[in-house]
Amino acid sequence: MAKVVNVKESVMAADEIVAERVRKFCRDRNILLVNLIGSPGSGKTTLLEAMKKYSDIKFAVIEGDVETERDADRINALGVPVVQVNTHGGCHLEANLVEKGLQQMVLEDIHLLFIENVGNLVCPVEFDLGEDKKVAVNSVPEGADKPLKYPHLFHKAGAVLLTKIDLLPYISFDMKVFESDLEKLNPEVPFLKIEALKGEGIKEWVNLIKGWMKEKSD
Amino acid sequence: MHEMSLVESILESLLQMKKENQWKKINKVTLRIGKMRQVIPEIMEFAYNTSVSGTDLEGSHLSIDQVEMEFFCKSCLKKWGEKDMAFVCPFCDSTQVEMLHGMELDIDTLEVEEKDG
Repeated sequence: MAKVVNVKESVMAADEIVAERVRKFCRDRNILLVNLIGSPGSGKTTLLEAMKKYSDIKFAVIEGDVETERDADRINALGVPVVQVNTHGGCHLEANLVEKGLQQMVLEDIHLLFIENVGNLVCPVEFDLGEDKKVAVNSVPEGADKPLKYPHLFHKAGAVLLTKIDLLPYISFDMKVFESDLEKLNPEVPFLKIEALKGEGIKEWVNLIKGWMKEKSD
Repeated sequence: MHEMSLVESILESLLQMKKENQWKKINKVTLRIGKMRQVIPEIMEFAYNTSVSGTDLEGSHLSIDQVEMEFFCKSCLKKWGEKDMAFVCPFCDSTQVEMLHGMELDIDTLEVEEKDG
């Protein structure tokens, strides 16, 4: 006989268990875990390179890409600990891939770990990786309309970084629209403007991270 | 295209529930998905139908209840919807805003057949 059963269970229940394990792993080692989310080519890897070049903050990276080890090679060339995770077609990272990445890393003396998610403004937001903060990376050439078009990311972000601001004089980018839409979605979010190649804004970004690290260790 | 990953999680849960409860068959699966979740129902249904074929869930039907976004201001107690999507109150400018609906991503109900006797 047929009957209706009330389940009321999160679709993500199984993922959340793994994300919780990642969170505990990082908590036990006092590691701040930051999930960088942005479009392909928004400057996520360049941001990490600039942090190494223009600051003294120590960190490690889990690089998420559909294919290739190119980003990991770039980070590795700077002497920053890194593992590459490939999703082979998958459009986002899930907690089990991050957990695998963690197992491959030497995290001695590391208290800041970045996950560079697969370039995409939609799917990565939906998956809890056990991170402390999601950070939205949006570059000037992508245009000022992205917050309202991808509201979930900009609402969930613990910080929003606008990169490639040196291109502002050459591109029609309405800063007022970007700022007012962002304010609607996430009124109190820290918003930083960055030109990574020259190191502009990196100091402020690193100070923000140091604040998060202090918050976590207190 | 995160729908496929969501479907994989759902199948895992369903197969486990079916085994634990010794159901004979699952006829219908109803999900509640908030509009903020950026799930496209047609893609989700396609992913589901493709994935169940050849499993213990073959023949089951996926139904999706989409939940509209709803916001609530804790200062002036007014509510508004997706058209005015904002976490700043459009009535009193307060940032004490709660999202009541739109973030749902749940397996809501199942229609199952129990084993005879």
